[in-house]
Amino acid sequence: MAATQDMKGKGEGGDQNFDYMFKLLIIGNSSVGKTSFLFRYADDAFTSAFVSTVGIDFKVKTVYKNDKRIKLQIWDTAGQERYRTITTAYYRGAMGFILMYDITNEESFGAVQDWSTQIKTYSWDNAQVVLAGNKCDMEEERVVSVDSGRLLAEQLGFEFFETSAKDNINVKQTFERLVDLICDKMSESLDTDPAVTTGAPTAKLTDSAPPLQQPGCNC
Amino acid sequence: MGPSVAKPNDFIPLFIDCISAASSRTQEYLLFKDPEDKLHPSFELFTHVFLMTYISQSVSLNLTDTFNCTAMTPGQRILLGADWVWALMEKPSRNPRLQIAVQVLHLQEKEDTEENTALPDICSETMQMAQQESSNKNMYEKLVDFCTSIGKDCYALFLFFGKKNDKGNIYGVLSNNFEVAIGKCNKIDRGFIENFFKGSRYLHTPSGMMQALVTKKEQDPITLMIKFS
Repeated sequence: MAATQDMKGKGEGGDQNFDYMFKLLIIGNSSVGKTSFLFRYADDAFTSAFVSTVGIDFKVKTVYKNDKRIKLQIWDTAGQERYRTITTAYYRGAMGFILMYDITNEESFGAVQDWSTQIKTYSWDNAQVVLAGNKCDMEEERVVSVDSGRLLAEQLGFEFFETSAKDNINVKQTFERLVDLICDKMSESLDTDPAVTTGAPTAKLTDSAPPLQQPGCNC
Repeated sequence: MGPSVAKPNDFIPLFIDCISAASSRTQEYLLFKDPEDKLHPSFELFTHVFLMTYISQSVSLNLTDTFNCTAMTPGQRILLGADWVWALMEKPSRNPRLQIAVQVLHLQEKEDTEENTALPDICSETMQMAQQESSNKNMYEKLVDFCTSIGKDCYALFLFFGKKNDKGNIYGVLSNNFEVAIGKCNKIDRGFIENFFKGSRYLHTPSGMMQALVTKKEQDPITLMIKFS
């Protein structure tokens, strides 16, 4: 597991003072609520107007864990098939995925397996995944049960949350759990693979990062 | 032609209305000269004037469900090379039937002096990160790459807000085949795009452009020069 580490110092106009940078992706079928989920988390905002994401976009949010500043670079991917070439190009180097479906849309739940295969195909083996059943505020229109979601997550080896970007349910928790999983994996990797402490293999942004402080993540 | 669009070309006159309004408004600003030479509007202002006028008009004409316009975020502009994307939507899937990704080009002499002007601080971290994450290709190539990755139903449109000898008009070069130039080892740069206007090539109207796009065969390559104002 690699992460950008200890890139300290003030950049031009931007705050580059952080201990770790994690690259996260939100994936899933079109209109499951990926962009709304990210807006809720990063800006604490929600709008019911649907605007289909073109290609890819991202937001940055800094979180603190055990006195470490972790910068999250969160990529919001378009769900439509026509953008698949672009979006899968960004899987490389991602440390975590939020794989999202819509609890009111059976098709989006049925596609989870395919999205999981995409992760395995295009990302690192160590990437961590949380399955999120979004729009849980729409109980009356539910077609995917909580148990079905949980069972599928277990089968795929993913953590699971039901979420609502609209009502701000489990949004922060989903991201926090994903960060925890990544930190755990990093610590695990550090125990077994000292190369990780020098930042190799590495994400693109790691290139300019000096070696990590010893002995490990502690985040 | 998409089966779900009852009268597939009905949107064209509305689109033309929006384009006319946006072009006329933008022209006013392109031609503006401050007698005291104190006002020097930024490139972004012209792009925003065009987009704001276009969007206002398309909302008032109820065009957005059929032919929508998505302005890119600052990060997307760097990653994808597009300022905005037009899309003809299929109903009820809401998948685009065709897309036009637009990049605005401003007058070269202004670019020389104003290129890389500082973006607002609020955006700078995002912009830096987008720059780090994006390829080493120039903005023209990024737009072509973006369209190529989607397919022949996605067109790159380089929109010139003024040309050297005609500062007040808006022209465009549209193609779903720019990538051929990359295949031939040509670099896609401003000169390459401006070359399309050389000679006595026919200039389409926006209406003619749209008619050509909706009537052409799916995988056919097409390259058009257009006068928008």
